[in-house]
Amino acid sequence: MPRVTVDGTTFYYQQVGAGPDVVLLHGISGNLAIWPLINLMPVLAADFRVTAYDLRGHGYSDTPPSGYTSADMAGDLVNIQRALGLGPMYVLGHSFGGVVALHAAVLYPEAIAGLVLSDPYFPGLRHLETRVGQWSGWQEYKEQANRAGLEVTEEDWFDVGQLFKQAAHLPPERHEMFRKELGLAAMERLTRLAATTCGDDVKAVAGLTEERIRSVRHPSIALYGENSPFLATCRYLEQNLANCRAVLVPDAKHRAHEENPLAYVALVHKHLRELAGLAPLQGRGGAA
Amino acid sequence: MDGRRGLGIKEVDTTMTQEQILNDVASILRNFNGREYSGDIGLDTRFFGDLGLASIDAVVLGETLEAHYGRKLPFHLFMADLGRRAVRDIPLGELVAFLHNHLNISTTIG
Repeated sequence: MPRVTVDGTTFYYQQVGAGPDVVLLHGISGNLAIWPLINLMPVLAADFRVTAYDLRGHGYSDTPPSGYTSADMAGDLVNIQRALGLGPMYVLGHSFGGVVALHAAVLYPEAIAGLVLSDPYFPGLRHLETRVGQWSGWQEYKEQANRAGLEVTEEDWFDVGQLFKQAAHLPPERHEMFRKELGLAAMERLTRLAATTCGDDVKAVAGLTEERIRSVRHPSIALYGENSPFLATCRYLEQNLANCRAVLVPDAKHRAHEENPLAYVALVHKHLRELAGLAPLQGRGGAA
Repeated sequence: MDGRRGLGIKEVDTTMTQEQILNDVASILRNFNGREYSGDIGLDTRFFGDLGLASIDAVVLGETLEAHYGRKLPFHLFMADLGRRAVRDIPLGELVAFLHNHLNISTTIG
């Protein structure tokens, strides 16, 4: 099982292909399995050396008690880059993985070649997202959480830490509800993060202020679900970053890779090729 | 077989049955990365619902099985198939059939 240790923390990773470096970052409470489940890595491996790893506290990586801000995790990213001998990276980050990717571009501009920001929401741009509680997908999310024995309100979308704590302290009579709805593995994931500073850290601006977000000049794609709750952020990135273009994934919300995997893989492949200056794919759409 | 070894082709037991493969998988899952499982493990045992594992465990199990059999196997096909399912669970029988198929294909193509 491939692992790399940086600053005393060991990360589980997978790597395939050859070419310019692409690094894939999953979101909070996920793991690198989201990429093989949509067959993204073999598709990208035709043109790139693709590295995916489990963020700290996730999957098969270590779980340090602290160090979960986007600045900390951007540090992990460039440390892993150095340890694995990767060149300047095109980074695809989903949700908080996108925040980490953009923060790395701010803190370590030479390390980053380009960005695909897949539905991130930035604590430093929270003022843009005033309507997430009214988002059409919210009710569905809330109902699922309720079926799992968790209690969420419209204000809670911003506070994953309280979900971690609820899962960690779920009354025994609700365990079966949770298991049926989300599975035991999900409870382990959330409980594990409840023992860390992750919940508070991911809410922190951590230096990634609006001004710094606007300063990023790397070629970037803001890749959002067409029904994402965070389209205000998508528009903001396109309008305020020097080299950022918005691309919408049809029939998708916040988790476009799951909601429309074929379109997602094709769009990621197409736009990574464009960012890397490779000729457009002819006729096969990129998702073959 | 000696000639095959001389060509650097790994020896494969072409007579391996699904039952033997299930035994291999079960012995790995009995104590998988620190998680012990003492219940019955059979072809109908579901990876997520019964064993309480997650998709990341399937990725790591794939690597563990590659190490066990000493060869690369196309687990990316298995994972992509899993990802396409509306109900994301899979009985071990399907994993065993996948392994049986690919371990035996590999013997014919080296």
